[in-house]
Amino acid sequence: MVPFGGWEMPLSYPTGTLEEHRLCRSEAVVFDVSHLGTVRVEGESAHRAIQGTFTNDLDRVSPGRAQYTHLLDDSGGVLDDIIVWWIDDETFDVMPNASNTQRVSDALAGAVAGDTSGQLKVRDTTAERAVLAVQGPDARQRLAAVSADAAAVGRFRVAGFEFGGHACTVAGTGYTGEDGVECAVPVAVAAEFWDALLDAGIQPAGLGARDTLRLEAGLPLHGHELGVGITPLNAGLGWVVGWDKGEFPGRSALETQRAAGVDPVLRGLTTEGRRPPREGQAVLRSGEQVGSVTSGNFSPTLGHGVAMAMLSPDVEPGDVLSLDARGGEVPAVVVEMPFVGRKP
Amino acid sequence: MRGGCGASGTVAIMNIPVELRYTKDHEWVSLDGNRARVGVTDYAQEALGDVVFVQLPTLGDEVAQGDVLGEVESTKSVSEIYAPVAGKVAEVNLALEDSPELVNGEPYGEGWMVVIELSDPAAVESLMTSEAYAALIEG
Repeated sequence: MVPFGGWEMPLSYPTGTLEEHRLCRSEAVVFDVSHLGTVRVEGESAHRAIQGTFTNDLDRVSPGRAQYTHLLDDSGGVLDDIIVWWIDDETFDVMPNASNTQRVSDALAGAVAGDTSGQLKVRDTTAERAVLAVQGPDARQRLAAVSADAAAVGRFRVAGFEFGGHACTVAGTGYTGEDGVECAVPVAVAAEFWDALLDAGIQPAGLGARDTLRLEAGLPLHGHELGVGITPLNAGLGWVVGWDKGEFPGRSALETQRAAGVDPVLRGLTTEGRRPPREGQAVLRSGEQVGSVTSGNFSPTLGHGVAMAMLSPDVEPGDVLSLDARGGEVPAVVVEMPFVGRKP
Repeated sequence: MRGGCGASGTVAIMNIPVELRYTKDHEWVSLDGNRARVGVTDYAQEALGDVVFVQLPTLGDEVAQGDVLGEVESTKSVSEIYAPVAGKVAEVNLALEDSPELVNGEPYGEGWMVVIELSDPAAVESLMTSEAYAALIEG
């Protein structure tokens, strides 16, 4: 177990990170992601509060859908990346990263303060539920033995289901590059639900595999590819910005950056051999530094090193650069992401 | 072995063969004449997690006790391996190039790392016995 954002989390189960990774790519695994926060936002003006707080445009989706979005500071830096579950017309579950729940709650509380309806409610419900992410090509088929309703939810859809007499929520989302769902279940039945998933042939997987899976899938991790000083545009996530909607924090900084040109930009790199590239390594072009690695590891699926790096904007896919690794320079090729699987 | 992540939580029941000698950095040594076979312990491999890359020294390298022999990288960390004894690197385990997972699967067997030809075989006597090593990790 390791400390993670105020939670004790398993880095791996006795199966081991590599086997857990393989099972997620070939069968089905479950991650306990209860450390993700849940902030319930309710009321007539909930839509307006979320629309004015985060970057993405809620009008691109509708009730019963999930949307990936960002909370920015005034300079456009990403304070958190978030999934919003639009439960029904006036009810949203906003799901920040573990250590950023307070930040996101505070930002939404600011919206409450500016609310004139007097009916907007923002409540941290993290302690009331567990969130279990069932991921992998066989995820839905095996989950169906536990709940056919949960297994049937569409990609980026949100729906209710019942387990053990309790109302639960499921979304067709995940962080692995595989098909799968995330289930929020009340703590009263969480352990029973977990056991039922294991009985259905779904193997538990820990933080180690979660990280290698998301890296192969080219998905950013807050604190690495996203953070203060890094905008969504730097991270190649311009699609997360609702340019056509109204004001939100960081908007004018993004407009300035968009006009001036984005520098640096996030790129994928692959290395030969098994040695894992590591965060912080300088990326060199003919001996000159053009950026640095934000995340890197051995890719269990590909059998060689993969990395994400913030690089100078004139670097193009196909360019051959090198990493300043301990013991010498390692060639690294710029590639399109994801490294494995389909586009997110 | 030093660096990277330490083990946390409770110490599982670890395999510590009595016939081997140990270092505080979690290397083991098996002496045969003047040849010392070296690897990392069961405790070390468990703490490392899944090993994905092992960097070994070059044949013929002369090493002093405590010199860096190589590196072990897992999905979560990088750790250095230190020479438990002084001498010349006489063999390296090339199988680890393609199958570093042997370090996890058979830390005292096929997961060995190097053989050092000792300049002074008596130096092994200065290393920890299995009892002393068990006491260290249960510490």
